[in-house]
Amino acid sequence: MNVRKIVTVVEEIRTEGGRAIDHPARVAVVSAVIENPWAGQGFIEDLNPGIDANASDLGALLAPAVLDALDAPAEAYGKAAIVGLDGEIEHGSALIHTLKFGDHFRKAANATTLLPAVEKRGPAGVVFDIPLKHITDATIRSHHQTIEVRIGDAPHPNEIVIALAAAAQGRPQQRLAPLSTEQ
Amino acid sequence: MQERMVHLDESIGLRKLVLYRDVVLTEAGETPVQPVRQASIAAVIRNPWVGTGPSADLSMEQGRIAPVLAKLLTDRLIASLGGVDEIESFGKAAIVGTAGEIEHAGALIHTPYFGNLVREFLQGESIICFADTRAGAGETLVVPLWHKTHASTRSHYQTISARVSDAPRADEIVVIAAASTGPRPHPRIGDRMTDPAVTTKTLEVVPS
Repeated sequence: MNVRKIVTVVEEIRTEGGRAIDHPARVAVVSAVIENPWAGQGFIEDLNPGIDANASDLGALLAPAVLDALDAPAEAYGKAAIVGLDGEIEHGSALIHTLKFGDHFRKAANATTLLPAVEKRGPAGVVFDIPLKHITDATIRSHHQTIEVRIGDAPHPNEIVIALAAAAQGRPQQRLAPLSTEQ
Repeated sequence: MQERMVHLDESIGLRKLVLYRDVVLTEAGETPVQPVRQASIAAVIRNPWVGTGPSADLSMEQGRIAPVLAKLLTDRLIASLGGVDEIESFGKAAIVGTAGEIEHAGALIHTPYFGNLVREFLQGESIICFADTRAGAGETLVVPLWHKTHASTRSHYQTISARVSDAPRADEIVVIAAASTGPRPHPRIGDRMTDPAVTTKTLEVVPS
């Protein structure tokens, strides 16, 4: 796995809607910019060898890094694969939609749910939004949220940006009725 | 502690902080001799001068707000880059929202109430290079950095971009401090010590 760089983004919201928040709301994202393992090879039917060679290593690299950047227990999480213009979205999906990748984060965060994801293809500097949901119950409405990321010089056409996102709480000033009140 | 933080937030109208850190492991296919971390930290605050007009005196608010920002931002930068001794280059920047003047951005970063304190906290000696602009939320600002004690050190001329997706609102200002732990990934364009004397007379082909 050829990693060009690691980018960390941490947002800390102190007021929202004009009111202070009880505890600053923290969301962290760690992205690895890697060479697309299938770059320049034409259409590859069987992606499994590339998945086996990279997905687990990526999960092991990013999961502890994003929890370290958050500096608090994660309550919500999500993931992203942003493929450079010469690759297929399937290449990004291959690296993140496997237990080999996601289990590192689930184990490190004591989480049980599937990780919500964004997969897209774009040029360097493309803006992407990572959806996050609660780590043990994806129906907990207070924790549905999104964080926006942009890396000015990535992905190159032959690269993929793989990212994990973690939030220490739900939305700042969350006050929607839970799903159960509508059932 | 909680009370003190709320007081600080209210006193400068702080809405959010955004940290961006970039660690280069390989560049152009090769590992840099000195792996470098760069970081920018942005604070989104209410513009204290919205609606005051170009004859308003900015000195009182700049003297009150800028030192608080200098401390807050440099604390975060130092923590994110592994300590003040790790930091070799620095820069500063501001983006004022569309209801403000560029002078408002300057008031918060171009006076001793910010610059001198950032230099002191980051243990530098150089003048701090900068960028400033007026823009809508989500604007990317490229922040220049140079060496904190020897500004003309060419290997350390570099930039990092800073961007807050939902700021500045029209009545806000984004104030940014940035730093790096070393030079560009593969610096090899010489320095003042190695440069030949270049004038139009010394060149065989003179641009015309």
